[in-house]
Amino acid sequence: MSVNDDVLRALEARNRALEAELEEATATLDAIRNGEVDAVVVGGPAGQIVYTLENADRPYRVIVEQMREGAVTLGGDGTILYCNQSFATLIDQPSDQVVGQSIFDFVAEHTVLETVFGSATTAGQSIELTLLTPLGDPVPSNISIVELAVEIGMDRMLCMIVTDLRQNYQRAREVAEANRRLAREIADRTRIEESLVIALDAAEMGSWDLDLASGKAIRSVRHDAIFGHEPMLADWSLDRTLSHFIAADREAAAAAFHAAEKTGRLDFERRIQRAGDGAVRWVHLRGRTFHREGRPERIAGIITDNTERRLVEEQLRQSLKMEAIGQLTGGVAHDFNNLLMIIGGSLESLARRAQLGERAQKLLDAAQVGVARGAKLNQQLLAFARRQDMHDDVVCLTDLLPTFETLLDRAIGEGVTVEIQQEPELWPCRTDAHQLETAILNLAFNARDAMANSGKLSLATANVTIGEEEARRFDAQAGDYVAVCVSDIGPGIDPEVAARVFEPFFTTKELGKGTGLGLSQVYGFARQSGGFVRFDSVVGQGTTVTIYLPRAEPVAAPSPIIEPASVRGTADGSVLLVEDDADVRAAASAMLEELGYEIVEVASGDAALEVLDGGRPVDLVFTDVIMASGMSGIELARTINERRPGLPVLLTSGYTAQKLSPTSIHGELPLLRKPYTLAQLSEALGGLQRGRGPKAAGGGGVVAV
Amino acid sequence: MTWPATPSPETFVLRLFVTGTTTRSQRAIANIRKICDEYLTGRCDLEVVDVYLHPEATRDYQIVATPTLVKILPEPLRRIVGDLSDRARVLASLNIPLAGGPVEALP
Repeated sequence: MSVNDDVLRALEARNRALEAELEEATATLDAIRNGEVDAVVVGGPAGQIVYTLENADRPYRVIVEQMREGAVTLGGDGTILYCNQSFATLIDQPSDQVVGQSIFDFVAEHTVLETVFGSATTAGQSIELTLLTPLGDPVPSNISIVELAVEIGMDRMLCMIVTDLRQNYQRAREVAEANRRLAREIADRTRIEESLVIALDAAEMGSWDLDLASGKAIRSVRHDAIFGHEPMLADWSLDRTLSHFIAADREAAAAAFHAAEKTGRLDFERRIQRAGDGAVRWVHLRGRTFHREGRPERIAGIITDNTERRLVEEQLRQSLKMEAIGQLTGGVAHDFNNLLMIIGGSLESLARRAQLGERAQKLLDAAQVGVARGAKLNQQLLAFARRQDMHDDVVCLTDLLPTFETLLDRAIGEGVTVEIQQEPELWPCRTDAHQLETAILNLAFNARDAMANSGKLSLATANVTIGEEEARRFDAQAGDYVAVCVSDIGPGIDPEVAARVFEPFFTTKELGKGTGLGLSQVYGFARQSGGFVRFDSVVGQGTTVTIYLPRAEPVAAPSPIIEPASVRGTADGSVLLVEDDADVRAAASAMLEELGYEIVEVASGDAALEVLDGGRPVDLVFTDVIMASGMSGIELARTINERRPGLPVLLTSGYTAQKLSPTSIHGELPLLRKPYTLAQLSEALGGLQRGRGPKAAGGGGVVAV
Repeated sequence: MTWPATPSPETFVLRLFVTGTTTRSQRAIANIRKICDEYLTGRCDLEVVDVYLHPEATRDYQIVATPTLVKILPEPLRRIVGDLSDRARVLASLNIPLAGGPVEALP
């Protein structure tokens, strides 16, 4: 083989390659000639330039014509070279009239547009401008401007896309309005929620919301606090709620929750043991069940600690009961006093008139003792009913203690020792020393009986300030009190019995040993003094009764003087006797006659006034206070005071003095309490004639009219 | 579709130069995709170049018009102008036999 062969082969290969290139070039030319291409690419000094052939860009034109945005091409001076239908519609003009006009005629912000024109680049920029329309409203628009690359030496060209922002603005406004509405609603709800929180807090209510599926609950701070958890716990479950109920109440509480899923309502009051101090408290739970797709989903509600309220309610019930019993007792005692008056008066008259044998005299004496005992019993009843004639003295109990001590030593016998604990700086208080003495004696007797005649009795005094809450419990006023405290170390009594001890005729003593009026007297006396009584008893430890008497400003208080009453010799003068009860009138008349008075009897106040107006000489008027018809004794006294000033009037009543004083004029009238003895009547009338009222111990008092 | 077994299937590196969304360019894209799917499954590396976006890319392969398909591999380099609707001509230019796998060389 030769070199020639190689050369030949190389030439052949070269020839084939050239033929292939030629074929390709021919094919390319054919393709161009036949219109099979869209664009030709020409290389030049400015780089590769693509020339799109006519009609090749039809899809672009269709897109541009169809799109909702306005499309505009502009010359460098702002002349509109082309615009699509959307732009023409936007500015409300036929598109063929728009072409040739300046874009500046359609834009409000000239300076801004000029700046954008000057700085437009091929990267493009976007700005919000206002498009002017010859007839309609201005259109807020977004305008994007791109500099179109053109060959060197050619005029500048810009492309502009205009987007109508009215809908965007409208939507933005709607969104803003919706947002504002939402914000308002949230604010309203927040306010309502806040008021709810304030209201719940003010009502001392805790709130809770229990999810039944998980058993977990969302709660307020107070909810946890009521259960004794402060600060509140991280989480809470129904089991935790139930575990707080005391064993006796737990099952009922669980059942209530269970039932609420069916009934839709929860409402029960049970006892819990509070965490922390371990106190047993009454709580009231109320709630409602919420359903989802017909199944109970959660229970939400509130909780309150009702312990204080229950206590106050219990006290209120107690005091209402005592008040009712008091009313009844007072009425009964009044009627009995009238009866005793008749019996006692008659017996006394009988005793003075008839010459009796020894045996008859004994019987009469026994009858009179009976009347006296009945009268004493009635006094105790009236004391409980707070219709006792009370002396309202300022007293320092420390001064009275020695007297009390002597009294106690004598009253309770040798088996019981007495211990006195006195507050050295004791405040003065306002009370009736005699009644206090009786009250302490009553308490001492109870203590002695409780300790079966052997043990220790303490009498203590103290200064005490009572706060609002405690005062409410005892239906009393808050403030300073002097406390007198009588304690024994007897067996004590259980709470159910303790609740009844102040009731009249309630006694735990054997039949015949007690009247059941001792503590009633103490209660009535304390209330009437403006104070109250506290009864504390623990089974196995003893009983303490404390009398609280209101503190008073100190004054020099004279101790009451007790004068024995006696029948003063024969009296003279004429007495106008006013009494509606014929039997009582007869008894009184007999007694007056016994004393030597001349008597004019009438049955009513009106009749009495008639007698006086008729000119009959009368030296004294003796009148009952309460009369079934017409004016009362007090009204009569007032009228007499107006018509016959200086004519002495003595009032008598089996009921009460203070209760009946609708005072409108000043002055005081003496009062004689029924039943009275001949001696007491004599003393009272005598005193009246001498120009002063009867003494308190004579069974009398004064009444303001 | 089953592909007849070939001893060493070669990968075709193809580049199609188009001008945006013009009709023939769109059609060319659709046609070459079909050919790739039918004849060159799994061994076709096709890239579509928009000369509006990359005008300088035309210089390397001496593109004078669009659409133009360039076969870069296997050699020799070939250019086919037009919308590639004449499948026989396209296959011939790509040196792919109508019935099956590629033939080594044209006579």
